[in-house]
Amino acid sequence: KDVPLPQSKAEQTEEKLDLDIWKSVMRFQVPAVEEEKLGGEEEEEEEGGGAAAAPSGPGGGVAGQEEVSPLEATREMVVMWRQAGKLVPETMTDEELGVLAELQTKSSKKKYLKYLAIKEGHKKSHKQKQEKRKAERSERFLEDDRIRPGGLRGEEGEPRNTFLLQFWGRSLDKLLGWRSAQAMAFGQPLVFDMSYEQQMTRRELENTVSQLLEVEGWNRRAPDPFHLHFCNLQPDGGYLRELVKRYGAEAWERLLVTSTEQRHVDLFPRDDLVYLTADSPNVLRTFDNSKVYVVGAMVDRSIQSGLSLANAKRLKLNTARLPLDDFLQWETGAKNLTLDQMIRILLTLKERGRWEEALEYVPKRKHDGFYQEKPQQD
Amino acid sequence: MSFLLILKTRICLKYISPLFNPSTAAFTPLNNVISKLSVSARLLCTKGVSRHAGNNRKEDRQREFNIRERLPFPKSVFAAGTAKRTAEYQKKRAEEEPDFPRKNKRVEPPDHPLTATEWKSLKLTSPNPDRFDVRMMSSMLADGTDINVAKSLLAYVAMDTGTLSYELLLRYLTLCVGSGHHSEVFDMYDIMRSRFRTLDTGASSLFIKGFSRTERWKEALTILENIKRAITPSPRNYGDTIAGAVLHGDGATAWALYAELMEKGLIPNQETWQALFQCGLSHQGHEDGLQSILLHMRDNQIYPEETLAEDIKAWFESLPEQKWIGSWSTADPRGVCRSCQAELESIQLSREEYAQLKDRVMGDVIQGRDVFNKTTPEELESFKNFVKRKPAFDVVIDGLNVANIGIKGNQSQTLLEVVSELERQGLVILLLARKHMQRPSRSWDRHDMSLVQQKAHCFFTDNISEDDPFLLYAALHSGNHCNFVSRDLMRDHKACLPDGATRRLFFKWQRGHQLVLSSYTPGKRVRFQRILSYDTIVQTNGGSWHIPYDENGAERCTYEVPQKWLCLTKAK
Repeated sequence: KDVPLPQSKAEQTEEKLDLDIWKSVMRFQVPAVEEEKLGGEEEEEEEGGGAAAAPSGPGGGVAGQEEVSPLEATREMVVMWRQAGKLVPETMTDEELGVLAELQTKSSKKKYLKYLAIKEGHKKSHKQKQEKRKAERSERFLEDDRIRPGGLRGEEGEPRNTFLLQFWGRSLDKLLGWRSAQAMAFGQPLVFDMSYEQQMTRRELENTVSQLLEVEGWNRRAPDPFHLHFCNLQPDGGYLRELVKRYGAEAWERLLVTSTEQRHVDLFPRDDLVYLTADSPNVLRTFDNSKVYVVGAMVDRSIQSGLSLANAKRLKLNTARLPLDDFLQWETGAKNLTLDQMIRILLTLKERGRWEEALEYVPKRKHDGFYQEKPQQD
Repeated sequence: MSFLLILKTRICLKYISPLFNPSTAAFTPLNNVISKLSVSARLLCTKGVSRHAGNNRKEDRQREFNIRERLPFPKSVFAAGTAKRTAEYQKKRAEEEPDFPRKNKRVEPPDHPLTATEWKSLKLTSPNPDRFDVRMMSSMLADGTDINVAKSLLAYVAMDTGTLSYELLLRYLTLCVGSGHHSEVFDMYDIMRSRFRTLDTGASSLFIKGFSRTERWKEALTILENIKRAITPSPRNYGDTIAGAVLHGDGATAWALYAELMEKGLIPNQETWQALFQCGLSHQGHEDGLQSILLHMRDNQIYPEETLAEDIKAWFESLPEQKWIGSWSTADPRGVCRSCQAELESIQLSREEYAQLKDRVMGDVIQGRDVFNKTTPEELESFKNFVKRKPAFDVVIDGLNVANIGIKGNQSQTLLEVVSELERQGLVILLLARKHMQRPSRSWDRHDMSLVQQKAHCFFTDNISEDDPFLLYAALHSGNHCNFVSRDLMRDHKACLPDGATRRLFFKWQRGHQLVLSSYTPGKRVRFQRILSYDTIVQTNGGSWHIPYDENGAERCTYEVPQKWLCLTKAK
């Protein structure tokens, strides 16, 4: 519609001549950096091409190009995919390349590359934000200095009359540490069942451990924490390896949780245990302070339904699920919640005992509000 | 079994069997068949009706319902197109929501080549100048714009920025290959090879496709080799190369590539097979290869599409010295080809197949990796004992599934009706149900349930156990004559089986033994959908081939089978 029409015939003919000009532009332009490499490569390719062109053997092309290792070929392929506008990372370590080369199917390769690309993107944007914040901060300090030369931070500044010295994070840590120790002695146990290593992929296991880290964090900050038990934690298993890696060996040793190889059924009387699983036929109506609740430490990205229910059935434990359908207008998503959501719900229940408050931690995208709220609105 | 079959067919085909009797095949009036076909096609075609929807939509819908109701026999749930029809029907019933048109953010390509200044102004006036060139090229691709317009864009970008991005070139290449500008593809090849160290899979695939149509088709082989260095080529890459070889009369290369493709465990495209059959049409030989393709289809339960079926027919008819006659046919409900009156293969499993399936269902579906997933060991044991104690059943009923066909709150009565109907036929019945059904409630009447228990053997599983695996086991345990009643398509249980071959066995058994109750109205007689007696699969007996195929445009779900057949018989 807003395309200008050609004015004269002369211009048109001139234009026709122009049509292939890009070819010469591209031909005479040789990539500066790769010039030497390219020359060598080209010769090789031609050799290979000649061999393969013979009808006798389509396999002949490989002979000339043996120097290029499969890993290098993969790297080049990734570079070209990036140029073609696909979602692949800009840089890859040799380790990541190795993982990529080991993957069997094309789709798994694509998925892995996409994962790396997204991770790279997050890292990059995080770095950018950090730099921006740093710049802002230094600007603010400059401003402060301009307004009040030798202001708050200055050595010569007037000492202020304060009630406390600055409340450092370390003081809080100490306080929370005391509380956790108290919970270790007198708190209600909460068990995380770590027996699902076989059922999870590497990614899922990593996600599980991330969630466990959050679980411990939320628990530590609660006014009345649980006494966390990591049961079935095998000494040479993936869970422990990943946990030690994430916490660091020292912090892991100092962590105020009970981690044990023993099963939960060996630690607690069977009648006290309640296995929380979304597949359970029973609904948890009230939170019982005398029970020991068990949560399966598992992330399930594939479809293995009923794993934790099967485990509970095997050990003949009581099971229960959260009363999600009774309180929430469920819309989308699975009823299984992440481990950190579970502990926040349980902590709130323990402290206040009200489902409405506890279920605030169910992700909002999964439901369309509480049932009670509706009549009030209308 | 299949090995034996291969041997047999090979022998039969090599030495034309004098015993072969084409029966009445040649004399069946073809017109009759065709007219029947077209009638049934018109009856079944809901798509055509819904196509010219518009101002009188309601009327159309009405008419469609009438057509549906007038169908003399309900189609089997496994017949091709049933799922699609059901989906369309339900979509029609659901309230029609106006679908909002997506925001049109694409740029409109011009209809003639522009000069650099014109491009520049167009770029400046476009709402989003970011990546203008690539987006413009994409929309040209979508519209199938003339290649010169694209060239003028490239010229402008090259002059403007001094270079062209790989992405832009790739899209241009797609345009060239799509519109068949071969010389342009050659130029692009030279440029891209000199400009970039390697090519990505997208460009390589395009070059393979472009080259294989020209006299430089052999270079496609080189490109294929290059792809192999980093990744397994796709079936389409192989298919294009094979098509190139066939097009230039190099059958040996085509077959070598096909062997490589199969060796890598890839699934060939229908176009690849089509190319090979066309190759066989123009060059003699390769008969064994082509027949092995047909047997591959048989083993993997693949059905050719209509175009491929036409090529298969043409190839058979072109064979010298053997006078093959191909015709388009359907099967009648008794399992007889309407064209040649030959009997089609039975749907019943052979003894070994049956034993294998039984083991698999027990091992993988019920026990799986963990018995506790679906049941408990105690329950499984008691069920096994129960089955052992009882006589072999003739029919196994999935109680909950059957009961829920009827009106809500009336479940036990529906169940009673179905059980009574089967009892009237003098069958030994097993009813699988859950324990909660024994407790009297509004939907489970005590009187009804006690009557049911008089008429049938009953097994009540725990409320949290799955009943379908028990159903499958009981039916398989009772023997080949035992059917089961359920509307469930059992896709989740089929998915538990470890490999494709066993899944196909399961599907075959399911088609032969599942009684489906399509609808139920209280007071009327209970009717089941007919079980077909023949297997829908590529089959031969040496003297003839019967090949089911997918019609053009008919969409078939994975659990459905085609209804049309290609019948090939040898004339005397």
